Amino acid sequence: MGILLQNITKRYAVSVVDDLSLEINDGEFVVLLGPSGCGKTTTLRMIAGLEQPSSGEILIDGQRVNDLPPQKRDVAMVFQSYALYPHMTVAENIAYPLRVRKLAPTEIQTQVNQTAAMLEIESLLSRRPRELSGGERQRVALARAIVRHPKAFLMDEPLSNLDAKLRLQMRGELKRLQRQLGTTTVYVTHDQAEAMTLGHRVAVMNKGQLQQFAVPLEIYRRPANRFVAEFVGSPSMNFIDGRIDPEMRCFTADGLRLPLDIGTTQSGASNADQQPGRLRSSFEEITLGLRPENIEVSNAQQTGMIPGTVYVTELMGSETFVFLDLASQRLIARAASDFRAEPGATVWVRLDLRESHFFDQVTGDRLSLPPSITTPQPN
Amino acid sequence: MRPGGFAKYFILTVASLAALAPVYWLITISFKHEVDQFAVPPKWFSFSPTLEHYADAFLARSFGQYLLNSLVVAVASTICALIIGSLAAYSLARFRLPRNLDRHLALWILSTRMFPAIVTAVPLFLIMRDLRLVNTRLSLVIVYTGFNLPFVVWMMRGFFAEVPRDLEEAALVDGDSRMGALRRVVLPLVAPGLAATAVFCLIVSWNEFLFALVLTQTDTAMTLPVGIAGRVTQYGIKWGAMSAAAVVAMIPILAFAMAVQKYLVRGLSLGAVKG
Repeated sequence: MGILLQNITKRYAVSVVDDLSLEINDGEFVVLLGPSGCGKTTTLRMIAGLEQPSSGEILIDGQRVNDLPPQKRDVAMVFQSYALYPHMTVAENIAYPLRVRKLAPTEIQTQVNQTAAMLEIESLLSRRPRELSGGERQRVALARAIVRHPKAFLMDEPLSNLDAKLRLQMRGELKRLQRQLGTTTVYVTHDQAEAMTLGHRVAVMNKGQLQQFAVPLEIYRRPANRFVAEFVGSPSMNFIDGRIDPEMRCFTADGLRLPLDIGTTQSGASNADQQPGRLRSSFEEITLGLRPENIEVSNAQQTGMIPGTVYVTELMGSETFVFLDLASQRLIARAASDFRAEPGATVWVRLDLRESHFFDQVTGDRLSLPPSITTPQPN
Repeated sequence: MRPGGFAKYFILTVASLAALAPVYWLITISFKHEVDQFAVPPKWFSFSPTLEHYADAFLARSFGQYLLNSLVVAVASTICALIIGSLAAYSLARFRLPRNLDRHLALWILSTRMFPAIVTAVPLFLIMRDLRLVNTRLSLVIVYTGFNLPFVVWMMRGFFAEVPRDLEEAALVDGDSRMGALRRVVLPLVAPGLAATAVFCLIVSWNEFLFALVLTQTDTAMTLPVGIAGRVTQYGIKWGAMSAAAVVAMIPILAFAMAVQKYLVRGLSLGAVKG
């Protein structure tokens, strides 16, 4: 059951989608996340049948649909522009899929009213799309998708045309709606916050290739490569290029020397660890990744802290972002809302390497460090 | 009124008068006795009207028949050209052919209007003669459709291209066939374009003189332009009958244009029909 993509490739002059394989379970909400041009919308359109894969198989509910036209695939699509029929009223828009299937007019009426009630747009039924606000149009587009109870919803950045506040509100409503209906959903977005909050699982894509397909927390805690690590999380993860000294058991970069023998979590490969990373024999050209929340900043020096210089601070209200220079590295740290420092001031920084990530500087792949480096040695 | 505004209105008034004066003259001539028609000084308003020319044109002579022929031929050729041309325009606007064939095809279609029509007069007559269609309304319908097609294709192609692809794709995913999507979603949205194109086609067909002259010989198929011109005989020019017929000839086109003028403005300004 669900949707199965097997080695899907779409080629124009270059490969827009490159050997993509995904298995989406029945009732699952899967988000295709990635920057513009990564192939996520093309993939969605191939599932809908609006584009043909150059090679590979698409199966919906176990049935191969490559040669099936969109009208026969029983999927519903919500477009980024909503694609509401401008010359029809809201009621007629919602009724369109049912009218095309030649349902009885009374039946159509009932379904339309029910769906409109579910999305709280009954008062808009006789209006035209041009008279509606962005949020209202979005609900109508959703209603049109829902009304025929399709096998799957395909959504192409449906929230991107809304203002920030409405986007947040609709995000919650979308999630609740999907959990309530239980319909398989494939959702395309470039907004990592949407991906993390909406999806059961997230497929991160870049340049047509799948980077990682896992539950949101896994993507956040154990990114498979530097791209995923950088893309997910706001503010973005900090990266420091350097090398590892195996005898001294520390990570060195320009002017920085960070001890590693404190039992880093990412090297403790538990059974749940699906991305254990590669082991490497050479310790050159390694990138250290550290999220802003794992960098502790303080105005007063405490044990184990190193000095840094503030570049600028951003007071968000609930917390403060501190941009600082550590040796020759520019880092972002999360601090408490009452933290204050002037640009140029000296602050004291502790990097919590227990939550650190290591990547190959060249390939970007996630690396595991051997326990010999990370396990604290008894003195 | 600002000085600039005054100049604008003045120029517009003069231009309107210049454009409307001949029409006014035409209308008044049709209602004047022959003696009044060319009186010097010209009688702009002070004449006693008469309907004798209308009676002459439509009862004594066959202008009624010419009017009917013109109507039939213009409407039929417009409808044919719109249907065939719109379908072609839709394909050209939506589908890609290998090696840019669709662009070449579009240019080729337009090129059929690039030579003087009179070049085809004799060949067309010969074809119609062989088909035994000389002096029939059908021959004119065929020829006018042929001449209107390139125009329809080019106008409608632009209008179809303006309809967002999203809408048709939404219709397809919603379960409609391609033709169904065309009928229910696309056509209502290009209706202004269709109206504007229809008006132009009608005007072209209505006013067409050359091929009507070549391909028709008797009253059965003769259209208004030829009929009116035929009032120029070696015995004198029957201005009264001509102008009466011309006034009547103006009416259908005017009526149609007024009926669709709402669409015409939108179509002519090639405005986006955004929902």
